[in-house]
Amino acid sequence: MSGVSYFALLRLTLPQIALALGAFLTLTLDLTVLRRRAQSTRFLAGALTACCGCVAAMLLLACASGQQTLFDGMMVANPLTRLIQMALAAFAILAVLLSVSSQFTRHVGEYLSLILFATVAMMFLAGTQNLLLIFISLEFLSLSLYILTGFSKRSRASAEAALKYFLFGGMSAGFLLFGMSLLYGLTGSINLMQIAAALGGPALDPLLLAAIVMVVIGFGFKVAAAPFHLWAPDAYQGAPTPSAAFIASSSKIASFFIFAQVMMLGLAGAAGSAGWQSYSSGWVMVIAIVAAVSMLLGNLAAIAQTSVRRLLAYSAIGHAGYMLLGLAAHTQQSLEALIYYVLTYALAAMGAFGVLGALEAEGVDELKSLGGLSRRAPVLSFCMFVFLLSLAGIPPLAGFFGKFYVFVEAFRAGSGELLWLVLLAIATSAVSLYYYLRVLKQIYVVQPEADAAEAIHTPLLHRAVLCVMAALVVLLGCAPHLLLQWIGQAMR
Amino acid sequence: MHLVLFFIFGALCVAGALNLLLQRHPINSALSLIVVMTSLAVLYLLLGAEFLAAAQVIVYSGAIMVLFTFVIMLLNAGSEERTHGSKMAYLFGFPGVAALLGLLAFVFLSRSSSFGQAQLGEYLVTTADLSKVLFRDLLLPFEVTSVLILIAILGAVALARKEH
Repeated sequence: MSGVSYFALLRLTLPQIALALGAFLTLTLDLTVLRRRAQSTRFLAGALTACCGCVAAMLLLACASGQQTLFDGMMVANPLTRLIQMALAAFAILAVLLSVSSQFTRHVGEYLSLILFATVAMMFLAGTQNLLLIFISLEFLSLSLYILTGFSKRSRASAEAALKYFLFGGMSAGFLLFGMSLLYGLTGSINLMQIAAALGGPALDPLLLAAIVMVVIGFGFKVAAAPFHLWAPDAYQGAPTPSAAFIASSSKIASFFIFAQVMMLGLAGAAGSAGWQSYSSGWVMVIAIVAAVSMLLGNLAAIAQTSVRRLLAYSAIGHAGYMLLGLAAHTQQSLEALIYYVLTYALAAMGAFGVLGALEAEGVDELKSLGGLSRRAPVLSFCMFVFLLSLAGIPPLAGFFGKFYVFVEAFRAGSGELLWLVLLAIATSAVSLYYYLRVLKQIYVVQPEADAAEAIHTPLLHRAVLCVMAALVVLLGCAPHLLLQWIGQAMR
Repeated sequence: MHLVLFFIFGALCVAGALNLLLQRHPINSALSLIVVMTSLAVLYLLLGAEFLAAAQVIVYSGAIMVLFTFVIMLLNAGSEERTHGSKMAYLFGFPGVAALLGLLAFVFLSRSSSFGQAQLGEYLVTTADLSKVLFRDLLLPFEVTSVLILIAILGAVALARKEH
């Protein structure tokens, strides 16, 4: 590499730079001009600047076109990465808007800028095919998420959750780095394309298998797949609600996308197969096992939960299993289905946490305290209704089509060899309907408790954002081709 | 000669790490961390990475460890209270770790031929070479890391500041 085009690098990283500038501006304004203002003013002004940064990044992404690869695959820009990056910026806007009315912290500027910085990390993660940058941005993302989890300093649960998340995350980073170093040792390259080329042969080295298992463990922690899920229930329950919403949505999108990139691009030759009686070793088998365990454990453990957030956490583990099913199929169509699934899942999960965030002031977390919510807050209840049914996969909501496409593509791939996994997925999603409906029963059927009968007031902005998200879930369910076409075009 | 030095300092490194975990008083743990860091620096030197070794000694064994000891002394941290740990850890954790280590060691030893050759010392000798790598080939990871460190500072301040 003789001449390095710094200008090209600058142009490719403009969206990230815009977002980082937005974060700095938010922080500076909050610490200087707005220092002595009321909490609500600070949050509103901060959210406005943060949203400006996100919108600028989205505009820059929308204006860019074509394909480009810089620094040996370190920075990759194509329509697909831009689509993911735009979705990440959009989710950052939603996360910022949903946290405007919260009361858990006095450090408004730091909080909002951390959300933006985490998004910067995820954008780098989505736009790279280089193990070094993947690891650095993954650590960058995790570090921001640890801090966001522990941001509510008045709550012991938040600190405990952050510590657990940090310790488990540190372990998983160790595994991931070990796996990556083995890959480098075997192929002499950290570029995914070159790794795939160097691994070319059909024979599978035992060292490569060790590397695959370690990489899957590392990413399995990030996407909260069982049996690497131990941090998730505590983090989802203990973290401040807007942070939990952000962790449950945006970070899933970025982690799943890069997981799929590493597996499908970097280890393309080492896939193997996971057919019921036609098993051959490779990463598909490992993913299939993790997917099956996640689906079973997530959905069965969710039944026993009494806290709504823990329930959502276990259901997220189950959903990670379904998404891994799309990865195990490893075809272009299944990747398309996986991206559709993860985007719609993120929307519904963030919405569900948004509703819980609105109820936070009322101290609602236990399933029991949701009793009769439909009479106290009809709009919020309806939004929750839409989000939960979408998570359960009821037509005509977005979640149904996500599941449908993933299952169909998984079935089609390799002439039906993943049938056992698809059947398991269908059975466990029937189980999931039970616990989602349990929450809805509390909201719609059960009478409110005597001492909590008055209406719940939520800020207009919060309600409006939730309604827009619910409308999007319905729209993407009624017209899934809107998003699917976009993803399809981006992949070609 | 190389191999002998590698074994001596490798063993010292592992012993330091174990001592770090077993010591009750934070100061003792911090001092064992210095042993770990310094022996790692020697291992880097054996691989031919002089700059990395020097940076390791200056940054880790020097600056960061001094900060560690300062903080521990300022906080006046006493010796830690031990819990016995969960039964699960003893039943599954230790055998699991042992099995994993055994498996990995076996795979490494039996398949070490399939690893490529790493060249560290040959083209990374002078500071000029290093800066070429750092500011040209690896410019992007370098910049991303700098933002990462900024986040760490931001988070540390936000988490440590008093809530009024």
